[in-house]
Amino acid sequence: MMSILVGLIILLSVIVLVQILRVNELVSEVKDQDANEITDKDNNIQGILTFAVFGVLFLGFVLWQFKYWGVHILPPASSLHGATIDTLMNFTMGVILFVFFLTQPILAWFAYKYRGRKNTVAYFYPHNNKLEVIWTVVPTLVLTPLIIYGLNVWNDITGVDTTNSKIIELYAKQFNWTARYAGDDNTLGQANYKLVEGLNVLGVDMDDDSAQDDIVTREVHLVVNEPVLLKMRSQDVIHSAFLPHFRVQMNCVPGMTTQFGFTPTQTTAEMKEQEGEDFEFVLLCNKICGAAHYNMKMKFIVETQEEYNAWMASQETLKNTLTLN
Amino acid sequence: MQLNLKKNKASKQLLWIGIVSIVMFFGGLTSAYIVRKAEGGWLEFEMPVWFTISTVAIVVSSALLLFAAQNVKAGKSGTSLLLGTLLLGILFSFSQIQGWGDLVAQGVYLTGEGSNASGSFIYAITLMHLLHLIGGLIALTITTIKSKIGKYTKDNYLGIHLVSIYWHFLGLLWLYLFLFFTYS
Amino acid sequence: MSEHHKETFLTKYVFSLDHKMIAKQFLITGMFMGVIGMLMSILFRLQLSNPGESFAVLEFFLGEKWAPGGVLDPNIYLALVTMHGTILIFWVLTAGLTGTFANFLIPLQIGARDMASGFMNMLSYWFFFAATIVLLYSLFVESGPAAAGWTIYPPLSALPQAIPGSGLGQDLWLIAITLFVVSSLLGGLNYIVTILNMRTKGMTMSRLPLTIWALLIVAILGVLSFPVLLSCALLLIFDRSFGTSFYLSDIIINGEALHNTGGSPILFEHLFWFLGHPEVYIILLPALGIVSEVISVNSRKPIFGYKAMVGALILIAFLSFVVWGHHMFITGMDPFLGSVFTFTTLLIAIPSAVKVFNYLATLWRANIRFTPAMLFAIGFVSTFITGGLTGIILGDSALDINVHDTYFVVGHFHIVMGLSAIYGMLAGVYHWFPKMYGRMMNKKLGYFHFWVTFISAYGVFFPMHFLGLAGLPRRYYTNSAFPMFDGLSDINEVITFFAIIGGLVQLLFIFNFFYSIFKGTKATENPWGSNTLEWTTPVERIHGNWPGEIPTVERWAYDYSKPGADQDFVPQNVPLKEGETEH
Ligand code: HEM
Ligand SMILES: [Cu+2]
Ligand SMILES: [Cu+2]
Repeated sequence: MMSILVGLIILLSVIVLVQILRVNELVSEVKDQDANEITDKDNNIQGILTFAVFGVLFLGFVLWQFKYWGVHILPPASSLHGATIDTLMNFTMGVILFVFFLTQPILAWFAYKYRGRKNTVAYFYPHNNKLEVIWTVVPTLVLTPLIIYGLNVWNDITGVDTTNSKIIELYAKQFNWTARYAGDDNTLGQANYKLVEGLNVLGVDMDDDSAQDDIVTREVHLVVNEPVLLKMRSQDVIHSAFLPHFRVQMNCVPGMTTQFGFTPTQTTAEMKEQEGEDFEFVLLCNKICGAAHYNMKMKFIVETQEEYNAWMASQETLKNTLTLN
Repeated sequence: MQLNLKKNKASKQLLWIGIVSIVMFFGGLTSAYIVRKAEGGWLEFEMPVWFTISTVAIVVSSALLLFAAQNVKAGKSGTSLLLGTLLLGILFSFSQIQGWGDLVAQGVYLTGEGSNASGSFIYAITLMHLLHLIGGLIALTITTIKSKIGKYTKDNYLGIHLVSIYWHFLGLLWLYLFLFFTYS
Repeated sequence: MSEHHKETFLTKYVFSLDHKMIAKQFLITGMFMGVIGMLMSILFRLQLSNPGESFAVLEFFLGEKWAPGGVLDPNIYLALVTMHGTILIFWVLTAGLTGTFANFLIPLQIGARDMASGFMNMLSYWFFFAATIVLLYSLFVESGPAAAGWTIYPPLSALPQAIPGSGLGQDLWLIAITLFVVSSLLGGLNYIVTILNMRTKGMTMSRLPLTIWALLIVAILGVLSFPVLLSCALLLIFDRSFGTSFYLSDIIINGEALHNTGGSPILFEHLFWFLGHPEVYIILLPALGIVSEVISVNSRKPIFGYKAMVGALILIAFLSFVVWGHHMFITGMDPFLGSVFTFTTLLIAIPSAVKVFNYLATLWRANIRFTPAMLFAIGFVSTFITGGLTGIILGDSALDINVHDTYFVVGHFHIVMGLSAIYGMLAGVYHWFPKMYGRMMNKKLGYFHFWVTFISAYGVFFPMHFLGLAGLPRRYYTNSAFPMFDGLSDINEVITFFAIIGGLVQLLFIFNFFYSIFKGTKATENPWGSNTLEWTTPVERIHGNWPGEIPTVERWAYDYSKPGADQDFVPQNVPLKEGETEH
């Protein structure tokens, strides 16, 4: 019934449209005009519209979005390297917005200014080597600092010294995260996917000495201003560990270990003060991994050393949970 | 005549560009091989003797085809040489299959428990080469029949020319793959 | 000429060897797929703006199984996103765009009677058609179509246990893409050889219209990159069907430990993006070519800096082969390699900037005739600027850490590749419609179509940057699972609103298209006052293009408003006057 109705409506609109077009063409015929010829009037209207829409409406919309939707942009980074990314981002954003607000108005203005008129002739201007050299060289000059600056930040982030970082493993599977602290020896015990069984959800090799003090948790607590090194593994498909507030992201790939080292600089409590009571640092999955990809999360909590110690004291080591049970 | 020449040139170019894309295909596969090998956990094994026989067969077949083309250009019949090429091509295919048998006997499997990417690559890549070669065999068969019924003359041997280009290319491709597997 | 066979319905419309008919076949198939792909995007946009709400349309199109109670199923959400991306990238903007304009324009603009091989050309269409059937069929299989994203990263795409779409649906996807690649290769070989060999007398490479340059370079890109996609897919097929371990390692799925070890999903990504990045230029370059032509004709001015335009095309094409790693900055790749890819990626901005400035210079002191085609071409320049600029952020490895795979990327690529290429394609259709069908498209509907499209397209894709900067990942079925995204619902509603408007107005275009084929006002031989050779052919379509001799070419294609000429255009086949110099 519904589909018949919809079909009827579509049919009717098509018929109406056809009729409108026919009438339109007939009127032109009577006036001895070609209905589809582009007239000076058309050029005028479209030229003005182009200026209004490209130059005013669109650019206004962009500004409007920055004003009203800019608040949704992530708060300043809560990590050491994140702050450098933010500065680089602001710098790059400044450059591209400058170019954007330079070129788009020119486009809109030219379209309006040079809208066609019968009896005018355009200016024959096939090339000008000097101009072309200028607009090859200028973008190059603008890009050079961007590239150098960007690569510097990249090298600092990827080359960060992790010798004193606390090691934590993030283990991804469909559709949740598990964390493992390396324990007092700060060395993760070996793991093998064939050992995953029952309580040993990470497949840790309990014959390995360094595995004994490892601690498996369902949320991650970090000490503010203390460096950590996250090591990622995956059990099934590719996932991606994404911590937007820390500007951290790294894929979790089955069959290999990836890592990302960083230092949190703000506690959850401080962030709550700044962003509201509901604020939490979260870990998201950012690589399509299946039906519940949108729902793969884990809480990250940044706190003081004392709070951290208190929490840690309540956690069980693997030796206790796996071998003694 | 003028138009014909243009058409001949176009056909040859079509083939050559097609060959370029086949090269890219095998380039993709062999670079995957290199990348994967560099990651370790790679099973080393002996290349089967049958693959050496394949190599000899395809080199000789190319030589025969060269003579066949020369004969036709000189106005003589190339049928028997073409037939020889075709038979050697079939021998090549046969030896490939035998080579796979050897590999299995050595414990190199395509898939399953105990298989290793090195083996899987060999099977996949040689299979792909063989598929391209079967296309060549079909073309050779048609050419041989056409030659038999006298379709080619001193001035009109485009078919043989095209088949030659493709066949020599397949030979070179095999040589590349063989050396690549042996020495990479 | 022997080309003038008697035509039956079957040889004229179905198994046609005529490049013009094959072009129309590509165009109409592409438009059909475009409607389907767009419809899909509207269906999943409804879920994103109104998560968990029931919609009758969802149930109408997807049925009780995939949209139980009118609410989209999460697996089907991913399947729709995957098919949407696949259809638009490959079916609409690769085959639909290149297939149409390469087939239509190459012989006409270089002065040839047909393609080098009409038969291969026909085969190219029929492979494409078969691919279309297989892909569409996959929409109806029990476990649903492929759902691992258009990038089909394994292991997700390799394991049916991981997502239902990776069962039969993924097999059909792979078959469809293989057929598609064969079609593209057959087409590409033909385009290259035709352009290199069949140009009419006087049509030197330096007199080629920019459309032809762009199509030539696109064909070369395709011939070099599509086979690599095939090799990448081949190994995936082996992993899926024969149990090899090219891409699989140490996997437990559904509680079952697989035997595969030693494979590397990263290897897949390298092979995939070696095609994947050139592919986005395969999409973009034809649009650049078309837009150059349309802007020049309707500005009544020569394209500014012809040589620089060709040079920029070549440079962009070349660079597109050495930037694929920018899709993989956060896969744990060697940081030095990341630096190299950042460097090469940002280099592409230079030739792109040159193109933009040359377009602006072409418009400067022009005498612009605002045809609908021209409006789309100007729209292209705008989206090309906007999308190109956000690319500078994504290409910078350090910045990519936090925007990779977020909606920022979705906004970026839709604007720079999706919108730009669609605008280029629409500009091409409006511009060459009179030559394709001998009639004019209705101009008023064209204007209406453009303005609604332009406004709603920016309305859809610009706000996505803000979603991305808020940290929202792409390919999320809903963003209501994280309280941090709660504030984004108004943005999502705006996007969906514009998506629906923008989608509906495309139906108006399709109406205009078919109406004009049958009822449009009759076109003259050269309605736009254009210089290129296709406008010297008669309005009536004939096999072989020119009734008599093929015209010879005496000058470049851009003598518009040349001082001393009688009109504001001088067709390419008009000999130079006494004392007149070229350019
Ligand atoms: C009505 C117009 C369109 C709308 C509303 C739309 C909307 C979207 C949205 C929201 C997504 C992201 C979904 C997600 O990540 O969860 C998406 C993905 C995508 N779209 Fe569009 N799109 C449109 C047109 C286009 C066009 C013209 C192209 C051509 C390039 C295109 C290509 C893609 C691709 C490649 C993806 C990625 C698919 C994937 O993640 O596997 N879309 N589209
Ligand atoms: Cu995920
Ligand atoms: Cu890319």
